Amino acid sequence: MPKGTTVLSAALDAGIHVPHYCFHPKLSIDGSCRMCLVHVEKAPKLQISCNTAATDGMVVKTDTPAVLEARKGVMELLLVNHPLDCPICDQAGECKLQEFAFQHGRGYGRTEDVRRKAPKRTEIGPRVVFDQERCILCRRCVRFTAEISGTRELAVLNMGDRSFISTYPGQPLDNPYSINTADICPVGALLSTEFHHKLRVWFLNETPGVCTSCSRGCNVNVGGYKDRVWRLTPRRNDAVNDTWMCDHGRLNIDYVNDERRARGAALRTATDGFEELPFALAIRRLADWVAEVKAQHGPQSVAVVASPQLTNEEAFLLRRLVRDVWGTSMLAVPVPMGEGDDFLVRPEKAANGRGFADLDVPGASLDQVLDECTAGRVKLLYVIGSEMLSVAGEARVRRALSGVERVVNHDILPTTISDHASLVIGGCTWAEKSGTYTNFEGRVQAIRAAISPPGGNLTEGEVFARLIASHGGASEHFDADRVLRAIAASVPAYGSVTPEAVQPGGVATGDAAQPAA
Amino acid sequence: MSAAEARVLAPVLPPEVVAAIEAEIPNYPVKKGAMMNSLHHVQKALGWIPRDAMVEVAALLEVRPIEVLEVVTFYPMFRDRPVGRHHLEFCRNLSCALLGSRQLIRHCEKRLGIRSGETTSDGKFSIGEAECLGSCGTAPMLMLEDHFHENLTVEKLDQLLDSLD
Ligand code: SF4
Ligand code: SF4
Ligand code: FES
Ligand code: FES
Repeated sequence: MPKGTTVLSAALDAGIHVPHYCFHPKLSIDGSCRMCLVHVEKAPKLQISCNTAATDGMVVKTDTPAVLEARKGVMELLLVNHPLDCPICDQAGECKLQEFAFQHGRGYGRTEDVRRKAPKRTEIGPRVVFDQERCILCRRCVRFTAEISGTRELAVLNMGDRSFISTYPGQPLDNPYSINTADICPVGALLSTEFHHKLRVWFLNETPGVCTSCSRGCNVNVGGYKDRVWRLTPRRNDAVNDTWMCDHGRLNIDYVNDERRARGAALRTATDGFEELPFALAIRRLADWVAEVKAQHGPQSVAVVASPQLTNEEAFLLRRLVRDVWGTSMLAVPVPMGEGDDFLVRPEKAANGRGFADLDVPGASLDQVLDECTAGRVKLLYVIGSEMLSVAGEARVRRALSGVERVVNHDILPTTISDHASLVIGGCTWAEKSGTYTNFEGRVQAIRAAISPPGGNLTEGEVFARLIASHGGASEHFDADRVLRAIAASVPAYGSVTPEAVQPGGVATGDAAQPAA
Repeated sequence: MSAAEARVLAPVLPPEVVAAIEAEIPNYPVKKGAMMNSLHHVQKALGWIPRDAMVEVAALLEVRPIEVLEVVTFYPMFRDRPVGRHHLEFCRNLSCALLGSRQLIRHCEKRLGIRSGETTSDGKFSIGEAECLGSCGTAPMLMLEDHFHENLTVEKLDQLLDSLD
């Protein structure tokens, strides 16, 4: 036990439940809620465990009659003015006030007084709503803005029973990490505007995953229900994102639920329309085209541009397909670049650029591929994803595509690229597949399918596996775990990366690997 | 709410107050430490602490305006709205409450035709309430311009009001 460990942390680490509100493992100690009272032997009265240092030989009891009674009292005071509007509160179902009232409360009310009225649904910032009636003044949100975001928008104004959480007029809660305040608010006082009144949380099926909006790879829970992703919330991983994530990553999920998602596969007709065709035929068609083009113009006339949002397992199969089976080195993986910050956000705006590099997938730069296309030397271009549009610009891509005889587009949404495509194959997002991503530091982290894809779309990995099979390779269904074992066996840096080791916190490789402790 | 509200449109702090605050700063290990005294200087000069003054103090102490607002609203002695020329601050805490502060406040409200927290239209009187002012032994009491008026009764309160111009 490190020096300075508190009784509460020691208890929680040992798996002993001590109810608490204001304590948060990543924030300073506040000691304001009094929920964590425990009996410390020889102490004259109950102590708050969150602010009592644990010492050797100390005897602490968490369930004496006095402790239980104190909890009842604290709960009673917290509930005196609480609106008890759980039926319309988004927090219901994951609310510490509900939980602890249920576990530790008195079970009945003793007050008859009218409950205090206070502003509800205040737009405290562009992405967070505030319900003052529900606030228990634990000050977690205030400490978050003071200690984590460093923006200090929030404060407790007034004193005693008149105090409330507020911003300075004209300076809203508006920082790139603002929605974390809604996560750490133990009650339904701060809520994500985006998720407000959308769904009762108990319908959500939460699947551990990884944010793909930059190369940090913040660990998340993916809240899925009825084949939609309703929200992302950060999942604690002290080696990556502590308990936080950025607002952008959290909210960047609309494309998953987009009505325009490509479903199934379609072939351009002579009259410039599209006709649907089964995946098996689409894959056959692509394989035939590749064989044809190679026979006439050689392997380098086949080129591929792939999305850095593909998993390591997909990347590994893609490398085998394109570089070994098709025999072309014209495989580019454009990583969109943007702004980073000095906290979590990274400039690489994709999940897996690092994984592609570690697995030695790219054989050419996007510039090379586009130049060859424009020069008419590429006869068949297979584009997975649409990153090249933002990296090279629409105009340049359009010019390149018009120089190519056959464009095959494998993506989730219609774009300029699908406009030029002879064959379109509907793809899957991270929410619909399992596998691993390698974050910017070399930490390999797992994702698991949270929802099923629209239109029965195959995962990219499955399509690659079938393409390999249709060229005479072993006919196997795509199994991410099996591919990961193959990666571990053939890529030295990934030797310790197994499906078992990668759950739930990831495996450090490269510079993320700590020297053995 | 607009972002402009948080900006100082025209400085409200007289130069001598700015100088007084600047003189306080070196007395503390961090600039923020000078907060309480700075606010006293402001209130003494202006009678209250307007929002724009808070923004100016924040700039001088290198903190955010919300950190000033939080201090101003925490301490009842700091006023975030203007008060009358005579600001009667009734203690409303336990000892005073038990000995009739509520009735005194009601009486005062009735006599001045305003409610606690308000100022008479001629700007002469205002009523405020404070927590324990440390004079429980002589409760009930009120504070007026740094002076305690103790062992109050309705009659003594009336006399006090009559004596003020
Ligand atoms: S809004 Fe939530 S986090 Fe902030 S003080 Fe209130 S209860 Fe705590
Ligand atoms: S910092 Fe990057 S990985 Fe983390 S939530 Fe934001 S975009 Fe996603
Ligand atoms: S958790 Fe200990 S006082 Fe709040
Ligand atoms: S209660 Fe009024 S002075 Fe103490």
